[in-house]
This record gives sequence, C-alpha cells and structure tokens, in this order.
Amino acid sequence: MNNRVRELRSERNWSQADLAERLDVSRQTVNAIETGKYDPSLPLAFKVAKLFELTIESIFLPEE
Amino acid sequence: MRAVHKRYLREFLPAMTAYVVLILGSVWLLPQLQNTPLRVLATLVPVIPIVFVLRAMFRVIRDQDELERRIDLESIVAASAVVGLGSFTYGLLLSANVLPQPRAETVAVWVLPALFACFGIAKCLVRLYYRGR
Repeated sequence: MNNRVRELRSERNWSQADLAERLDVSRQTVNAIETGKYDPSLPLAFKVAKLFELTIESIFLPEE
Repeated sequence: MRAVHKRYLREFLPAMTAYVVLILGSVWLLPQLQNTPLRVLATLVPVIPIVFVLRAMFRVIRDQDELERRIDLESIVAASAVVGLGSFTYGLLLSANVLPQPRAETVAVWVLPALFACFGIAKCLVRLYYRGR
C-alpha cells in the first residue's frame, strides 16, 4: 500500500520522532510506514488520519 | 527511549542480576550439600528470577507498539523454528550414533539460552528488514 505520510509530515515540518510521539508509536514504526515496509492496523491508520485531519483513503492508497 | 522499554529495563535488569548472583551461589553451594531436598532447592532457586525475566518479556511484547510487537513475534517464531529444527536434527544424528553422546543435562540446559540467542539474532535481522529504504 502506498501512503502520503512522509509528504504530510514534511508539510508540517515534523521529524519522524515528532510524528511518532504524537501517534504514541516508535520512530521505527513511522519510518516503516513511510517506506511502505509496514502497513498500519486500522486503529493506527485512523489515528494518523485524525492527526492530519484527513480521511484514511486520502492518506493510504491501494497499489494499482 | 519509550516508557514501555524503560519499564522493561527496570524489570529485566534486576531479574537478570538476581539470576547471575543466584546461579553463582548455587554453583558454589552445591558441592557442599549432601541432603537431596537442599540440593534441589539450591539448584532451582536461580530459576525464579528467570520467571521474572520472561514476565518482563511478555509485558513488553504486549504493551509496545504494533510494529515492535510484530518484529518480536516474527523473531520468536524464527528462533523457535531454528532451535526446534536444530534440536530435532541433532537428536536424529545422536540416535543414529554418528555424533559423540553428550550428557542429557547439558543438552537440556542449553535449550533456553539457545532460544534467547537465536531470538536476539533473528530480531536484528527482522528489524533490518523493516528499516526500509
């Protein structure tokens, strides 16, 4: 699954550590999500969407 | 370091220290004991802190974030597979009398350390995989 997490984080000038702290996860988890190595669970995806004030489907995009 | 891992260290380090102290004490004490119940007690007391080490591990796995939990669980599966398959293969070779026969207690005692060591190695590899590009 592709996602816009890195782009949205950069727009807000947050580091991976900043985002990790806001989501209450490790920086490693943020990095794995951004690089597409790990697809978050639905609750974490909702948390990301809520933090960025967007819908889940506008952040996480199924691969074509 | 996140709070969950700080708590893990607070629980793990004293338990591991207690184990080292008790195992050294046990090794020193055993040759001096003739009474069987006392020998059993001196031998098994070091197992108690290991139970607390395992408790700390269960708690950190349960409470860390979802990727950390996945990494730990994948590492445990890999370590269990390696140790299980390794000991099974070793057992087959022993039963075929193609290897020198070890003492049974030596084999039994090394199962848990082998599991922990394989878990550590597997965790490094799994973490590398999730580190990404």
